[in-house]
Amino acid sequence: MSRAAYLRLATLLLVWAAWEALARSGLVFQGVVPSSLTVLASAASELGSSNFYPHLWRSAEEIGVGFAIGSAAGVGLGTLMGVAVFLGRMAHPYIHVLAPTPKIIFLPVLMILFGVDIGSKIAMGAISAFFPVVVATYDSVRLVPPVLLRVARSFRASRWQTVVKVYFPSMLPAVVTGMRLGLGVAIIGTLLAEIKLSNRGLGFLAIQRYEGFHIPDLYAVLLIIFVLAVAANIAIGRVADRLQRRHVISRRTPSR
Amino acid sequence: MAEYGRDCRAQPFMTSGHGSAQASAVLTAEGIGKRFGSGATAVTAIDEVTLSVKQGELISVIGPSGCGKSTLFNIIGGLITDYEGEVRIDGRRVSGCHPDIGMVFQEESTFPWRTALENVEFPLEVRGLPAAERRQRAQQFLGLVGLTEFADRYPGELSGGMKARTAIARTLAAHPKILLMDEPFGALDEQTRLLLGDRLSQIHRELGQTTLLITHSITEAVHLSDRVVVMSYRPGRIKRVVDVDLPRPRSSEIIESEQFGHLVASIWHDLREEASRGLAADEASRRSS
Repeated sequence: MSRAAYLRLATLLLVWAAWEALARSGLVFQGVVPSSLTVLASAASELGSSNFYPHLWRSAEEIGVGFAIGSAAGVGLGTLMGVAVFLGRMAHPYIHVLAPTPKIIFLPVLMILFGVDIGSKIAMGAISAFFPVVVATYDSVRLVPPVLLRVARSFRASRWQTVVKVYFPSMLPAVVTGMRLGLGVAIIGTLLAEIKLSNRGLGFLAIQRYEGFHIPDLYAVLLIIFVLAVAANIAIGRVADRLQRRHVISRRTPSR
Repeated sequence: MAEYGRDCRAQPFMTSGHGSAQASAVLTAEGIGKRFGSGATAVTAIDEVTLSVKQGELISVIGPSGCGKSTLFNIIGGLITDYEGEVRIDGRRVSGCHPDIGMVFQEESTFPWRTALENVEFPLEVRGLPAAERRQRAQQFLGLVGLTEFADRYPGELSGGMKARTAIARTLAAHPKILLMDEPFGALDEQTRLLLGDRLSQIHRELGQTTLLITHSITEAVHLSDRVVVMSYRPGRIKRVVDVDLPRPRSSEIIESEQFGHLVASIWHDLREEASRGLAADEASRRSS
C-alpha cells in the first residue's frame, strides 16, 4: 500500500473513532449521534428484512431506466448538435443555460406530466442524467481530430461509416466521463424525488425513518445508499478506464 | 526524363486502356489555382500549376512554407473541390476523393483506438471486404512496411516512425493507383527520415506505384524522386523542374555522392530566394500585427 493509501485509511479510522467517542461521551443526545455499532446493526437488520428489497429494486429501476433514457437522449442530441453545425449553434446556449440549473425545480411539472408514481421519478433521473451527457457529447464531437475525418473522407467513407468508425470511438472516453457524472446526478435526482413525494424507494425509506425518528435506521439507510452509489461509480469508472487506456496507452516504449 | 533501371516486375494495381494522347501520364494537374478569402484580404495560394506524373514515376514537390504545397495536395486528393484548373487521372477529369488516389497526411493520422493492424484494415472495412480477406491483406501491407511484429499494438505504443509507416500501409492497402503523400515523415528527425526514405524507395520499387510526394526537405526530394518540382513562395507557382538522374535502386548512401551534392546545391540555389521571400513576408506580417 502507498503512503497516501495508509493516510486515507488512517483518516477514516480517525473519523470513525471520533464519531464513536462523541456517541459514547453523552455530550449529545444518543438519538442524534448513535453509536456506529448501533448503525451497523440497523443496517444488517434492514438488509436482512424482506421489506427492504422492494424499495431497493424500485430505486434501482427508477435510476436505471431514467439514466438509460437520459444518456441515450444526451448522446443522440449531442452528436447531432456536433455534426449538424447549424443545429449546434442554435441549441448550444439553451443547453449551457439549463445544464447548471438544479433539476429538482422541474419536479412539480414532472409530477403533473408523468404522475406522482414511478413516472415522475424516472423522468427526474432522465432529465438529471441528460445534461452532463449532452454537454460532454457535444464537446467531444468537436474534439475529434480533423485529420482523422480527412482520412475517412479520403477513403470515401460514407457519412454513416464516418460517424460509427471515427466519431463514436473518438468521442467514447469523453462521453463515458459525461455518463459517469450523469449517473451521479441521476441518483441524486431520483432520490430527491422519492423524498419529496412517494411511497416506495430508498429515498422514501430514509424519509420514513426520519419521520418516525428512528435515527439509527435513518443512518443505516443512508449508509446503504452511500455504499451503493460508490459501487455504481466504481463500476462505471472501471469501464471508463478501460476505454481510456486504449486511447492513451502510456508512452511505454515498445519492447524489442 | 531519364529512364532508370526500375524493377518493373510488379505493377498489380494498373488498370488498362487509357487515352492515347496522355498515354504515359497517369496523373495530370492542369492550370491549378486556388485563392483563399475575398476582396482586399484574398490570398492566392497557388497559381497556374501544371504538372503530370507518368506511370510508376515518383515526383517530389518542394517549396518554402507558404508556397501552397498542402493546398495542391488537398486539391489533387479531392479534399478541396473548389479551385481553378483540372485534375485528370488517365486523361479523365476527376473531382472529389477518387478511389485511384491514396492520401498520406502530414499530421499524425492513425486511429488511436485501433491497433496497427486494425488501422490498416480501415479502408477495407469501408469497402465492405469480408473480415478474413481484410485481415490477410492488412497483414501483407503491414509486413511491407516492416511492422508485422507490431500488428497488435495501439498507436500509443508505437514510435513516431512506426505510426507514419502504419499510415502508409493503411493507404497502400486500399490499392490506390496513385500515392499522394504530404510530408509523411514531417514530424520525424533527419536520420529516421533517411532510413524511412530507404524503406519507401524499396516499397516504390516493389509496387511501382505512381507517387507524388510533397516535402520541404531537399535531401528527401533528391533521395527519392525521379523529378523534383520546385515551387515559388506565394503565390505558389512552378519555378523549375529538376530531373534527378541518379541511378536506381538507390539507398540513402547516395547522399555521399558528388552528383547528389550538385543536385541539392542546384535546388537550394532556386529555393533559397523563395524561402527568403517567405521568411521576410512572415516577419513583416508579424511586425505589422
